Amino acid sequence: MLKREINELLTQTGPGTPMGEMFRQYWLPALLAEELPENDCPQVRVKLLSERMIAFRDSDGRYGLIDEFCAHRGVSLWFGRNEESGLRCAYHGWKFDVTGQAVEVPSEPENSRFCAHVKLRSYPLVKIGDVLWTHMGDPDNCPPLPEFEFAHVAAEQNYTSKRWQECNWLQAFEGGIDSSHVSWLHAGGLKSDPLFKGSKGNDYNMADFRPFFEVADADGGLFVAARRNAEEHSYYWRITPWVMPSFTLVPPRGDHPMHGHWWVPIDDENCWAYSFDYHPTRPLSTTELEAMRAGHGVHSENIPGTYRPVANKDNDYLMDRDAQRRGEYFSGIKGIAIQDASLQESMGPIVDRAKERLVSADAGIIKARQKLRKAAVALRDQGAVPPGVDPTHHRVRSAAVVLPREEPFIESSRDALTSAPGKPHASV
Amino acid sequence: MRQSEPAVPRPPILLSSCALATSAAEARYRIDAPIEGRQGARVVSLDDGAATLVRRLARLRWNGARFFTLVATPLGPDGSGATHPLDMALHRTDGSTTRLVDELGQADVTVMVATANGNAPAASTIGRACARRGIMTAGLVLGDRGDVGDTVTALRPYAQVLLVTRDEQDVAEVLTALRA
Repeated sequence: MLKREINELLTQTGPGTPMGEMFRQYWLPALLAEELPENDCPQVRVKLLSERMIAFRDSDGRYGLIDEFCAHRGVSLWFGRNEESGLRCAYHGWKFDVTGQAVEVPSEPENSRFCAHVKLRSYPLVKIGDVLWTHMGDPDNCPPLPEFEFAHVAAEQNYTSKRWQECNWLQAFEGGIDSSHVSWLHAGGLKSDPLFKGSKGNDYNMADFRPFFEVADADGGLFVAARRNAEEHSYYWRITPWVMPSFTLVPPRGDHPMHGHWWVPIDDENCWAYSFDYHPTRPLSTTELEAMRAGHGVHSENIPGTYRPVANKDNDYLMDRDAQRRGEYFSGIKGIAIQDASLQESMGPIVDRAKERLVSADAGIIKARQKLRKAAVALRDQGAVPPGVDPTHHRVRSAAVVLPREEPFIESSRDALTSAPGKPHASV
Repeated sequence: MRQSEPAVPRPPILLSSCALATSAAEARYRIDAPIEGRQGARVVSLDDGAATLVRRLARLRWNGARFFTLVATPLGPDGSGATHPLDMALHRTDGSTTRLVDELGQADVTVMVATANGNAPAASTIGRACARRGIMTAGLVLGDRGDVGDTVTALRPYAQVLLVTRDEQDVAEVLTALRA
């Protein structure tokens, strides 16, 4: 249960809102690098944090993220021409560079100084790994670049996809730290998904449907651990890190790649789910890559040429009641990503948390909301930098470990929960 | 057996009969029945540090939560200060005394609050009593992780959910979220 005003505070991320200002403290995924594959390629419309922008890659390979609309008459620059180191408006030929600076206004005299005073709002756009990242806050307070491990491993060790999710970012993100749904909603996937199946950890998962949970503070967010019985004197721990505002890692299974998500608000009723798989010590195999591209694991099969899943709210997510009866998919929906998306979207664009009936197993969600609220208010009232901005907070990993029953998970897994280049992941 | 094929998407008859009913406009047709507060929350402090907080919380307005502190008596063989675990005595925050077994009768969740000196035998007694009755248990341990390790270890077997935090406001947050 959450008071309405707090629900609004947490879910609204437009300019000037407390949570919107907090998101603007971070480097955020803005789009996939594949969306701007070469110099002078077609520009792309981008909406983030309720701001409409155009992303483009100029003739010199520089990336730009600028106001979508021309400074002259408000025409969308999506119709413009990306040519000769700038984006030229199709209406009257005004041209802007990657910083949003007007560099040509054809109707003005050649030696006019008019251009110097025309600049569209722009944000930096930087390629790290498969993702183009942006910082939409005050440029004077721009933090160092992100250091999430998935974005820094070699290209052949990583695969990143994204999908449009038609609901507020918070209810999508909360699924990422809600460990108790996995044994139900995703039970079928543990047995059949090529990127999940075949680990000893799955056996522990399926043998114990009543896990114990432990939530621990971390400098950048939280660790949420689910504990199940393993052998007579040991527990099987699945440890999920959350780095604020919305980065989570799924605990690994066997030698499968590690995976996780970044949830980024498009506006208050839509978000991007960036989903990635990476292996810290080896390239992804052809089989693994094929499975990821086909929408297995945390990925989705998208409508070609778009980032909208094939199974979406227009077609009832391709509900298959026979598969549900057979126990193939617990909810009747195929694929782990769409299983999550379908249920989270079914809650409505912004779920009314004043009507929830939370239980103590939701402690991770309760704590995460509290941390988000406190950070947003501290930023608003005291200018405090929120957790997760510091790149040292990004150096985390998820872990799946078997520990003697008397050992605490955090202290015993400290090394396993810290990323380092080339270090094997802790997985069962 | 023939494997059935995925259902062919069919055009919806009514907006509210398909997943498109997730729109904000359709949300106004959700049944808006009042939600009852939880009546069965029991909050027990396991040490003096937590007792101060629990007494303070008890003064706030709650749905039906009851707040208790441990009775400081010499520990019996089971460490609880009682001859039988279910006879374990608790103080209400008004100073009167009650028995654990009586308070668990209508309980559906017991929240144990502790700091660095959490009473492990009491946690064991409460945890076991709750387990027998199908009552959910949660442990909230306040303090730096390095200082509360023993308390966390003591609570781990008996708290189905364990939250370790430096922020004592979390106790009120959790109770509010649970509609306690």
